Amino acid sequence: MEIKIFIEQFEESLDGLEAGLVTEATAFKELKEWDSLAILTLTDTIDLEYGVLLKKADIESCDTVRSLFELVQSKV
Amino acid sequence: MDISLSGSATVVPPKVRSIEEDVDLFGGNIRQIERLKKTLGLNERRIASNKLTNLDLCEQAAQVLLEQLNIQSSDLDGIIYVTQTPDHSQPSNAALLHGRLACSTECAALDIGLGCSGFVYALWLAYSIIANGSSQRVLVLAGDTLSRLVHPKDRATASLFGDAGSATMVEKRSEAGASWFRLGTDGRGADSLIVPAGGARLPFSEETAVETSDADGNIRTKENLFMDGSEVFNFSIEVVPREIEALLSDAGASKDAVDYFVLHQANRYMVHNIGKRLRVDLERCPVDSFGAFGNVSSASIPGALAYELADSFSGECEGKSSHQVVLSGFGVGLSWGTCLLNIPHLGCLEWRTYKA
Repeated sequence: MEIKIFIEQFEESLDGLEAGLVTEATAFKELKEWDSLAILTLTDTIDLEYGVLLKKADIESCDTVRSLFELVQSKV
Repeated sequence: MDISLSGSATVVPPKVRSIEEDVDLFGGNIRQIERLKKTLGLNERRIASNKLTNLDLCEQAAQVLLEQLNIQSSDLDGIIYVTQTPDHSQPSNAALLHGRLACSTECAALDIGLGCSGFVYALWLAYSIIANGSSQRVLVLAGDTLSRLVHPKDRATASLFGDAGSATMVEKRSEAGASWFRLGTDGRGADSLIVPAGGARLPFSEETAVETSDADGNIRTKENLFMDGSEVFNFSIEVVPREIEALLSDAGASKDAVDYFVLHQANRYMVHNIGKRLRVDLERCPVDSFGAFGNVSSASIPGALAYELADSFSGECEGKSSHQVVLSGFGVGLSWGTCLLNIPHLGCLEWRTYKA
C-alpha cells in the first residue's frame, strides 16, 4: 500500500472534493464533504481496492488520512 | 417442476414527493440534494395518504392482475402476503384480502413478516406449495407503507422510502423449467434496521413518542423506523454478490446466460455497486424504478419488473421462449433471498397509480 495512491483514492471516493487538497495530515472528519454518504462511498472504495470492509465506527476512530491508511494497512 | 410467474401488477399512491421538497431536511443545502440525486439516485417517491393502507394498494394490484389474466378470485387456492405494515396486528392482511376478493374458503391465506427480502421468500413458498401439490395457483402480495414509519427529520430514512403494493401470480406453466432459490438470515444484525416500539416488547407509550436526536443530528422516536445505513450497506455488499454467485453455481448457470439481475431497489448506488461487483453489464440491472417510487420494500422487485421490463416480457419475450432472471432481495432481519427463474411471457406486467 502506498499513501500517495491511498490519498488519491480517498479524494476520488468523496464526491465534490477537489483533487490535491488532501494530505496525510488532513483531519478528514472536518471536511465539509464528510457525511454519511461519504462514509458509504469511502467504505466501498476501500473494500474494492484493498478487500477490507471497515465499519463506520472503525473509520470514525481515525483522525487523519494517515491514521485511516494505517488502519487499512493493518487489516490487509 | 414447471412453475412460473404468469403476471404481476404494482400500484403506487397518487401523491408524488420529490427530493427537492426535502431541501429543509438538508438545511437548505441544494448542493447536498444534487449530490444525493447523483450518487444515490434519489428523485421522486410515492407517499400514501393517512387513509390509504398497503392492503388497499395490494387489493387494487390484485384486481388489475386478475382482470388482465382473466382469472376469477375463486380460482385461487393460496394467498401469501408479505408486509410489515399490516392493517392490524391480527388478523393477517392475507385473510383480509381473501375476504375483499371473495375467494374460496378452500384457499389458504397467510402473511409473511418480512421487508425487502420478502418477495423472494414469498415466491419460494409459492413455488414450494405448488410443487408439493398443496396449491395450483398462488397470489403473492408484497408491499409496505414505510413512509408512515419514518420520521420526517431523519435524513437516513425520510427521503429514501416510498409506498407501493404489488400482486404477482404464480402457477404451473409448461414453459417454465427449473427454478433455484437461496435464502438466509443473520439475526445478529436485527438492530440495524428496526422499529423499536409498537410490538409486545415495547408497546407505544408517552416515552416511546419522545423525539430524540442522534449523533448525526437525525431526529426520530422509538416508534419510527431506524436504519444504520452504514451497517446495512456493508451487509448488502458482503452478502448479495456472494449469494448470487453461489446461486448460479448451484444451478450450474453462467452470468452471461442471465438476461436480467433484478435486485431490490435499495438505491441506485447499491444496485450498481452489486452489479459492478458481479462484473455484469449494468444495463441488465434495472434501477430506474427507484427514482420513480423510492425504496418500496418488498414491492421493489415486482415494481422494477413492471416499471422497466414490461416490454421484455410481453409477446414472445423478444424472440425467446423465456427470460432467465435473477431476483435478489435483502434487508430487515437481516434477511436475504435470491432466486434464478425462467420466466416466459407474462399476461400482465404493469404498474398503475391508485384510484379511489
